[in-house]
Amino acid sequence: MSLYHNSTRLVRFGALLAVPMGLLVGCTDLKENPASLITKDNFYKNTDEVLAGVAAVYANLRNQFEDYYAVQQVSSEEMVVPTRGSDWFDNGAWLELHRQGWTPTSVVGLREVNGIWNQQYAGVARANIVLEALETVTIPNKAAVVAELRTLRAMFYLNLMDMYGGVPIATDTKVEQREAKTRAQVFAFIETELTAARADLPVSWPSQYGRVTRGAANAMLASLYINAQVYTGTVSATGLTRGAVRWADALATADLVLNSGTYTLEPNIKTNFLPVNQGSRENIFVVRSKPEDGLGFRRQYQSLHYNSISPGDGGWNGWAVVAETYRKFDATDARRTQILAGNQLAIFGGAQVRDRQGNPLDFTVDIANITAATEGEGPRNYKYPIDPAKVGGWNGNDYVIYRLGEVMLIKAEALNELGRTPEAVTLIDQLRARNFTPARPITVSSQTDVRAAIFSERLFELFAEGKRRTDQIREGTYTSGTWFGKTATQGYRILLNIPQPQLDVNPLLRQNPGY
Amino acid sequence: MKVIRGLMAAAVCGLFMANPLQAQGRGSITGRVVDSTSQLPMQSVTVTIEGTQRGAITRVDGTFTLADLPAGAVRLRVTRIGYTPQIKEVSFTGGQVATVRFSMQAVAANLGAVVVTGYGSQRKEAVTGSVATISADEANVGVLANPTGLLQGRAPGVNVTLNSGEPGAGAQIRIRGGTSISGGNDPLYVIDGVPLQNNESEARGIGIGGSASIGRNPLNAINPNDIASITVLKDAGATAIYGSRGANGVVLIETKKGRPGAATMEYETYVAASQRSNELGFLTGSEYRSFISREIAKGTLPASRLASQGTANTNWEKELAQTGIQQSHNLAFAGGNQSTTFRASLNFADQQGVVISNGFSRLQARLNGSHEALNGKLRVGLNLSSSRVENDYLPFENTGGFEGGVFVNQAVYNPTRPVLRADGSFFEEGTGRQGVRNPVALANQVLDDGGTNRTLANVTSSYQLLPSLSVQLNVGTDRSNGQRNIYIPRISPAGAEFGGLAQQAQRGLSNNNLQSLLTWSPTVGNQIDFDIVGGYEYTDFDNTDFAAQAQSFTTDAFGYSRLDAGAAPQPPSSFREESRLVSFFSRTNLAYKNRYFLTGVLRRDGSSRFGTENKWAVFPAVSGAWLISDESFAKGLPFSQLKLRIGYGLQGNQAVPPYRSLASLAADGGARYVFGGTTVTGIVPNVNPNPNLKWEQSAQANIAFDYGFKDGKYSGSLEYYSKETTDLLLTVPISQTGSSFVGDQLQNIGSVTNKGFEASLDARIYDRPNRGLTLTSGLVFSMERNTVGSLGPSQFINTGGVSGQGQSGVNAQRIIPGQPIGTFYGAEFAGFNATTGAQEFNNYTVVRNAAGVETSRSLRGRSSTTNSDDFVIIGNANPNFSLGIRSNATWHGFDASWLWRAEQGRDVFNNTGLVYGAKSNVTQDRNFLRSALDDPTSVTEPALFSSRWIEDGSFVRLQNVTIGYSFKVPFAGGNKPLRIFASGDNLLLFTPYSGYDPEVFIDNGLASRGTDYIAYPRARTFTTGLRIQF
Repeated sequence: MSLYHNSTRLVRFGALLAVPMGLLVGCTDLKENPASLITKDNFYKNTDEVLAGVAAVYANLRNQFEDYYAVQQVSSEEMVVPTRGSDWFDNGAWLELHRQGWTPTSVVGLREVNGIWNQQYAGVARANIVLEALETVTIPNKAAVVAELRTLRAMFYLNLMDMYGGVPIATDTKVEQREAKTRAQVFAFIETELTAARADLPVSWPSQYGRVTRGAANAMLASLYINAQVYTGTVSATGLTRGAVRWADALATADLVLNSGTYTLEPNIKTNFLPVNQGSRENIFVVRSKPEDGLGFRRQYQSLHYNSISPGDGGWNGWAVVAETYRKFDATDARRTQILAGNQLAIFGGAQVRDRQGNPLDFTVDIANITAATEGEGPRNYKYPIDPAKVGGWNGNDYVIYRLGEVMLIKAEALNELGRTPEAVTLIDQLRARNFTPARPITVSSQTDVRAAIFSERLFELFAEGKRRTDQIREGTYTSGTWFGKTATQGYRILLNIPQPQLDVNPLLRQNPGY
Repeated sequence: MKVIRGLMAAAVCGLFMANPLQAQGRGSITGRVVDSTSQLPMQSVTVTIEGTQRGAITRVDGTFTLADLPAGAVRLRVTRIGYTPQIKEVSFTGGQVATVRFSMQAVAANLGAVVVTGYGSQRKEAVTGSVATISADEANVGVLANPTGLLQGRAPGVNVTLNSGEPGAGAQIRIRGGTSISGGNDPLYVIDGVPLQNNESEARGIGIGGSASIGRNPLNAINPNDIASITVLKDAGATAIYGSRGANGVVLIETKKGRPGAATMEYETYVAASQRSNELGFLTGSEYRSFISREIAKGTLPASRLASQGTANTNWEKELAQTGIQQSHNLAFAGGNQSTTFRASLNFADQQGVVISNGFSRLQARLNGSHEALNGKLRVGLNLSSSRVENDYLPFENTGGFEGGVFVNQAVYNPTRPVLRADGSFFEEGTGRQGVRNPVALANQVLDDGGTNRTLANVTSSYQLLPSLSVQLNVGTDRSNGQRNIYIPRISPAGAEFGGLAQQAQRGLSNNNLQSLLTWSPTVGNQIDFDIVGGYEYTDFDNTDFAAQAQSFTTDAFGYSRLDAGAAPQPPSSFREESRLVSFFSRTNLAYKNRYFLTGVLRRDGSSRFGTENKWAVFPAVSGAWLISDESFAKGLPFSQLKLRIGYGLQGNQAVPPYRSLASLAADGGARYVFGGTTVTGIVPNVNPNPNLKWEQSAQANIAFDYGFKDGKYSGSLEYYSKETTDLLLTVPISQTGSSFVGDQLQNIGSVTNKGFEASLDARIYDRPNRGLTLTSGLVFSMERNTVGSLGPSQFINTGGVSGQGQSGVNAQRIIPGQPIGTFYGAEFAGFNATTGAQEFNNYTVVRNAAGVETSRSLRGRSSTTNSDDFVIIGNANPNFSLGIRSNATWHGFDASWLWRAEQGRDVFNNTGLVYGAKSNVTQDRNFLRSALDDPTSVTEPALFSSRWIEDGSFVRLQNVTIGYSFKVPFAGGNKPLRIFASGDNLLLFTPYSGYDPEVFIDNGLASRGTDYIAYPRARTFTTGLRIQF
C-alpha cells in the first residue's frame, strides 16, 4: 500500500508538473521575422520594386548640393562664409574650408571631407545592390535600367576621384576592406562604364523626366575627358604633375551632345534655374525637386538675409560672394544679376528689406573682417530664385548638374587646346550673346588669351553650379591663387585628405601625399 | 502509452485520495508565522507535520492552512533560512479548526525583514548579494510623480538625476554608474514580478529649430502610493538571475497587498504649490537700452540701433513663470479573510509646471487580490493596474537651437518688446515666419498634448505539490498606448512657414511575460537549510509606431484634430518591432549552521535580438556570506552582527535594437525621388548587419561587510565592487568602400570599468516608544570611478555636442580610453586680453613621434585662437562622491523627517552661459545674460567653448522636509486616526554653479552627461495634506 501510494504520488506530481512545463513547448524560437523591414532576397523582383531601388540611388544625388557643393564653392574663389557674431562660426569650419586649411583631424577634415566620402560611397552601395539583384531578375527595359545605374555609379566615382584621387572600387555588395586603385585606374573604370552604358540609355524618359539619359552620360564623359590631364596625372607633396590630355575625346563626346538635337540653348540663362525649370530645353541632368512632398531645394537660404524674402521670412545669412569674383563680372552681364548686391528689396512684395536692427539692408561688395562680419556685408548668390509656392522652406527648383551651356564651354576649351582657337571663340560668343544687349563678343584671339577667357567664361556662366574647385585645379589657380580671406596654399591640396576615420578602419588605404 | 496509463492512474488515484474517509474524524490547522522582533508576517516559511509528508508554505501574510487531517495530536515544525526552527504540538478533535501562532527567532541580530530577490524572497540576513531596500512609506514624502523619486538619496550606489524640473520629467537612474556607452544604462524594473518595458510611451515632440526635449518618465503611470517596498539588486550575485537584462541593476517594486482581518479604508490627499527655485537673469528692457547706448558711444554699434528698440520692459523669465498647483487624491481599501485578500486603490494626481502652459495628470486604479483553495495548496493572485496619464507639453528644445522654442526665446527675445500688442494679440517682430518668436506666445499657441493608457496585469498561481515543493505559473502583461498630438499654428511665427503644421503620433508598447517556477526547500537535518528555484521565462515585445503630419491649413481652428484639412499632407510613417527573450534559470541557496551561506545562480538567455551566431548566452554567479559574529571567537568583538559577503558573476545588457543582425531593406523617406511628377519611395539597405551581434557583458565582483553595533542600534554595510563591461555595443565606423550602405556598423567592441565604494549607516538613535520618542537617521555614501578601457579602432569618440547658434560641430566631451565617460575636452581658458578684452586660451606646442602619437607638450603662451593641439581634458562630469542623509523622528503624535543630498566634485558644462552669455547676441538684436555685462569681451566676439564654461557642479540640497501630526478624530461613530502633514521639496540648494541647477540631463550625444542647456527650471514646492483611515 505504502509503495503504491508513493509511486502514484510521484506520477501525480509528474502530471502536475507537466502542465506548466507543457506550456514551454515551442517557445524557444528566436528567429527574427521583421514586419516593417524586408530583405534583398525577397525584393527587387519586378519593375516597381526595382524602381524603388533605383529611386534610392537618385535620392543620393541630393548630396551633390550638400558637403560636395560646400567644398566646390567655399574652398574656391567663388564663395566665402564669414563669421557674423556667433553666427556661422560653427567651430571655425567655414573659415578653415575657405582658407583650404583642413587636416585629417581638423573640423572640416572630420566633417565635410569624411561626409563626401560616405555620401558618395553610399550611392555606390545603393547602386550595387540593385545591379546585383538585376543579374538574376528579368524585367522589361532591363538594359536601360542597368545602364542607368552604372552611369549613376560612375558619377559617384567621378566625384570621389575628383576629390580624393585614387579610391577603392566596389562593384559588388561584399562588405570588406578594399585597396585603393590609382587615380588613373579609377579614371579608366569611369570611362569604361560610361562608354558601355550610354548605348543602352534612352535619349529621354518621356513620362519620367529626371532619369539619366544618353545625353547625361555623354556630358559626364566629356567633363571626365576635359580634366584628363589632372585626373591621370600624379599628385605629390609639391603638387600636380599633369598627365595625358584627351582633348580630342572631349571634343568628340561634347559633339555627341551638341549634335544630338535633343538640347537647345535657352534664350535666357535664368530659365534653367527657375522654381519650375523642368521645361528647360538646355538642362541635361538635374536633381529633381517636389516641395509639396518635402523634397526640394533650399541652397538659396544659405545666402539670403533673414528678412530677404518678405519681412520675417528669409534665409540663413551665411554665404557671400568673394568681392574679387563679384567685380570680375561685367556690369552689363545679365548673369551678374544672379548675385544680390547693394540695397535690398524684398523678393516678394518689393518692400525695403531691413536688417534686424531696422536699418535698410545693403549687401556691400566688400567684407571688412572675415571673422567679424556685419549682417549686410558681402554680395549674395541668388542663382536659384525662391519658389513662390515653396512649402515648409522647400523650393521647386531642380538642381542642375549638367546643361548645354557647360558642354559648349567644354567643346570650346577642347577646340582651343587642339589649336582650333577661332572656332572656340565663335562658340563662346554664341554662348555670351544671350547675356549682353548689345552683344559683347570676347576681344582676345591668341590660344593663351582664349584659354584664360574660357576659364573666365566658365566662372560667369557656371557660377554657383558646384564646378569652381575642379575648374580652378585644371586652370592651376586653386592652391596658388589668392583672394579675399585666402592666401596661397600647398599644391597637394588639390586633393582632399583621405578621411582619417576611413584610414582608421581600413589599413589598406594610404593617406594622400602632403597630409 | 506508458505516460497515458500513468496519467490515468494518477487521475484515478487522485480522485480516490481526495475522497474523505470519515468527516467526523478529521480537522484542520490554521496558523500564522511572524518575525519575533518586528512582528511582521513571514512568507515562505516551510511548515511540516513531523513524520508525514503533509505540510504547507506560508503566504505573503504569514498564514498557512493544513486541512483534512486525522484528529489527534501532531507536531508542527517551521523552518526558514536564517531562523531557528521551531516545533509545536497541536491537538484537535474531528471537525475542529485549531489555530497556532509561531514567532520565529532570528538566528542573529535583526538586520531587517524579508527581501524580495527576484523569483522569490529571502530573509535579508541570508542574502549573499548586494541588495538595497527602500521603505516606501518612509520615502514617499513630498511631491513624487512616480517611483523613481523614491530612490533618490536613499540607497547607496543608486544615483538618480531628474532630467529637469518639468512636471513628470524623466530621470537618469544609474545603479553603480553607467557602464554602457551606446546601449541603455537604465535598470530593469520589475513590478510584482513582471519585468517592465521602460521605453518612452509617447513619441517625441517636434523640435522647433532644435531637437525636441526628452519625453517624460514612462513610470509616471505608476502611483507611488501603491508601492510597498523597493528593492535594488546591484551586484552580479543578485542580478545574474535576470541574465541579459541585469547589467544595469534591477529595481524590484512590490505593491501593497491586503491582509486578513477587518477591512480598512484610507484616504490621502495633498495640495502643493511650486515656483521656480532660481532665475537665470537676463537684461531687462532698460538695461538692454542702456547697454546699446554705451556700445553706440563706443562706436561698436550703429547709432540707429537705439531708435529700433521698443519701449517695453519685459522680463520674459517672469512672464513665463507661474505658481504651479499640484494635487493628489488616493483612496484605498483593503481586507480579506484567511483565504482571500484584496486591496483596491484609486489615485488622481495633477501637476502644473512652474512655467506656463504645461503639466501632467494621472488617473490610476489598482486592484490586488489573492485567493487560496484546495486546503491552501493552490494560491492564485491577481495584480491589475490601469492608468491614464495626460501630458501637456511645453514646446522647448534640449539641444540644437538657432531659433528654438520657449526657452531659447526666453533667453534671446528682445526685452524692450511687450508681451501683447495694444489690441491684445501677442507681439511679434513681424508677420509670417520669424527667426525669433515671442516665447509667451509660443507657450500659449503651440498645442502639444499627449496621453497614455497603460495596463499592467499579472496573474500568479502556485500549487504546493509537497510540503517542500511548489510549482508556480505567472503570467503578466504590460501594455501601453500613447498618443501625442501637436499643432504649430499658422499664426505663430514658428508655424507660419508651414501654413500650420499638425501631427498625430501613436505608439503602442506591449510585452507579455510567462514564468514557470519550481521551488524546492527540502529539510536536510538541523544544520543545513537549502532551497532551489528553477524556472523558465518567456517574454515577447511588440512595439508599434505611427505618425502622420499635415501642413498648409487655411485656419488654425482645427488644431491637430483634422489632419485632412491640411492641404499638404506629409508621408505618414510607421514601424513595428518585435523581439523575444527566452530564459532558463536556477538559483540555489544553501545555509549551513545558519552561519555560512552560499548562493549559486545560472541563467541561460536566448534573445531574438542577438545575432544569428549568438542567440544564447549564459550568466552564472556565485556569492557567499559568512556570519562572523556568530562564531565563538567573535563573541568578544563589539559587533552585534558582522557579516562578510563576497560575490562574483556575469550580467548582460541586451540593449541591442531588434533586427540589427539582419541584412534588411527599409522604405526611407529620405530616399524618395521624383520621376516625372511622381514621387517614388526608395527602398534602401538601412543597416550593415552584424550576425555576430551579442549582449554587452559585465563581470562584477563584490565584497562587503554588513555590520551592527549595540544590538543593532547602529547597522549598515560597507561594499566595494569592481565591474568590467566588455563587448560594448558601439556603432563603429567601418571601411566604407562602396559596398556598405552606411559608414558604420553596430559591433561589440571596447570595454568600460566601474569601481566603487558604498557605505550605509542606519541608526536608531532614540527608540523609546513608551516615552513617545523615536529618532532614526540614515546615511548613504557612494563613490564610483569609471574608466573607458578601449574603443576598438577609434582613438576617441567625440560627444557632448554643443548647442546654440554658431556651435554646430563643436563637441564638449570626448570618450577617451583611460578616462571616464563624461570627460570634458576643449581649450583651456587663460583669461581676457588686457587691451581688447578678448578671451584667450592656452596654446601648446605638441611634439609627436613618427607614428603621430603625442610624446610631449609644452605651454607656448596664450592667444585668442586655438587649434586642435590646444585641446585638453578640462573636466569630469562624474562626482567624486555622493551622499544622502535622512532622519525620521516621532514624538507622541508628531512626526518629522528630512533628507539632504549632496554630490561633490562634479563638473557641469554651462552651455546656457556659453551661448547666452555672449554679448554678440546684441548684434542680432538678441538678449543675453545679465552676468555677461561684467565680461570684458566685445560685442563682436563669438561664443567660444572652452574650460571657462565648465563649472563646478557640486551641490548640497535639502531635498525634503516633512512634518506631520497624527491624532484621532471622531468620525462616523468612532475615533479614526488622522494625520495632517506639511512638506517642502528642494528647499535649499548650496552650489557654486551659476545656472538654474547643477542636476540636469540633456541628451546631446553618445553617453552624454553633465551638460546644462536652457533646461526646464526646477521647482521649489510646498505641500500640505492629510490621511485618514476608516
